[in-house]
Amino acid sequence: MTGRFEASNQVAVAGYAQSPVTRHSDQTLGALAMETARSAIEDAGLVVGDVDGFVTSSLFPTAGAHSAEDGVSVVSANWLAGHLGVNPRYAAGFQGFGQIPGAVSLAVNAVASGAAKYVLVHRALHNPRGRYHENPIEEAPGSQQWTVPQGYFGPLAMIALAYNEYVQRYGASREAMAAVVSEARKNGARIPWSYWHAKPLPASEYLDAPMINDPICRYDCDIPVDGVAAFLFTSAERARDLPHQPVYVAGYATGAPMRHRLPLHWPLDDIMEVASETTRRLWERSGVQPREVDLPQVYDGFSPFVYFWMEALGLCPAGEAHRMVLDGGIDSDRAGAVPVLSGGGALGNGRMHGVPQMLECYLQLAGRAGERQRAKASIGLACHSSPHFGGAVVYASEPF
Amino acid sequence: MTSLPRPVPVPDDASAGFWAAAAEHVLALAKCSRCEAISHPPDVVCPHCRSTRPGFVFTPVDGRGTIRSWTIMRQSFLPGFDGEVPFVLVDVELSAHPDIRLIGRLVDGAEAPIRLGAEVRPAFEDIGQGYSVPAFALEQPR
Repeated sequence: MTGRFEASNQVAVAGYAQSPVTRHSDQTLGALAMETARSAIEDAGLVVGDVDGFVTSSLFPTAGAHSAEDGVSVVSANWLAGHLGVNPRYAAGFQGFGQIPGAVSLAVNAVASGAAKYVLVHRALHNPRGRYHENPIEEAPGSQQWTVPQGYFGPLAMIALAYNEYVQRYGASREAMAAVVSEARKNGARIPWSYWHAKPLPASEYLDAPMINDPICRYDCDIPVDGVAAFLFTSAERARDLPHQPVYVAGYATGAPMRHRLPLHWPLDDIMEVASETTRRLWERSGVQPREVDLPQVYDGFSPFVYFWMEALGLCPAGEAHRMVLDGGIDSDRAGAVPVLSGGGALGNGRMHGVPQMLECYLQLAGRAGERQRAKASIGLACHSSPHFGGAVVYASEPF
Repeated sequence: MTSLPRPVPVPDDASAGFWAAAAEHVLALAKCSRCEAISHPPDVVCPHCRSTRPGFVFTPVDGRGTIRSWTIMRQSFLPGFDGEVPFVLVDVELSAHPDIRLIGRLVDGAEAPIRLGAEVRPAFEDIGQGYSVPAFALEQPR
């Protein structure tokens, strides 16, 4: 199967809502999701009864022993539809990784096929009480037996190995990563709903932070939060009759199967090998060339993903993202730079799992970014997760 | 306060041979009975010939290799490691089986001179209840 996505630019985003991003909401997650969903539907100029499709990815991304309870710590598509009083023609949950591109692809396919006319995509994220990844296991059965007895466990150790391989191979400095994290926090500080609103991070504070799993410190990780975002998808044709300028979905791609490895083991070469396939498919499916993207939003749930995505997208040669960053190459306030974190990302908003990237593409391309509106934003690209098993969506302000 | 023990593996039909060998301080990995390729960990099917009946047999392997990456664990989210931090986990490519990467503790400790490409040999941590966990030691500490 080759060639452009047959439904390229035939489906559009018509509206959105984003809840405040907080450490612990004073509302249960399901209630917050309902309010956010109603706001997004209203924003698109619709009423709840118009919505006939509900899509999400409800993964609870903790390695800890917290339980996933629908409506409390996760919110499924069916839970949301049912509690809004809708019996939708289409309800689906994306089960893979790269949850936002995955959910967007389900929504786009549902609209393009006619399975539903108005599809609400939501993402609800919860921060449980207690340590996010703490796990009291005393025995390691199944796949865990290959790594847990050694003490290898959890996403911080996972990303630490991949990042250290990058650092050692290419000589990347802590100063470069301080610039990445400061850039995310600078942009997040300008966003009213962000957990880090008005709280930029000086590079010196990053450099002073103690290591957790070298070379990862706390500022390399997005902070767990309670928050919900929702987006309304419909056909390009119907979207043009709604109040806001449509933002079209040009194409999407998600990662390819990876080599068989130990649980949570992502050697750098494995990541980048599959990443190049992810992005190759993205260009082919969307009909967009890399140089045409004026608003690439890379995923940064762990800061090293910024380098991996920048290189996978061809923004710089392999091994040189850290140098590009140090040279001011991603500074959103600098003319000629590539603003890969202009929406603040996960490091600048909180653990919203790919939502900040998508939201920045939507707001800028729809001309709804207010004081943050960029002069040129016509092709956006929203990444999520690692480039080898996550994915990305290309958005366009005009169909082409 | 008594410190908790480290998590122990729970051997099953697919892994018993690995842990039995480790208890004897022997590194044994899964060999496909169809194509004879070594893989780790043993998957449902053979990742090389894709046989759905790989009949894996645990075979002693040359466990020497080189360090491809490492991390110093200064915090652990698991019980039983609070008294162990900081410790080093190394990502090792086996010299005799370059497509296999293992992760284990570097027994030389967090102050050891680690570098990319450093040579290591197998070592074993005896963690109690008859279990030994494969680990690594620097071949020539400098």
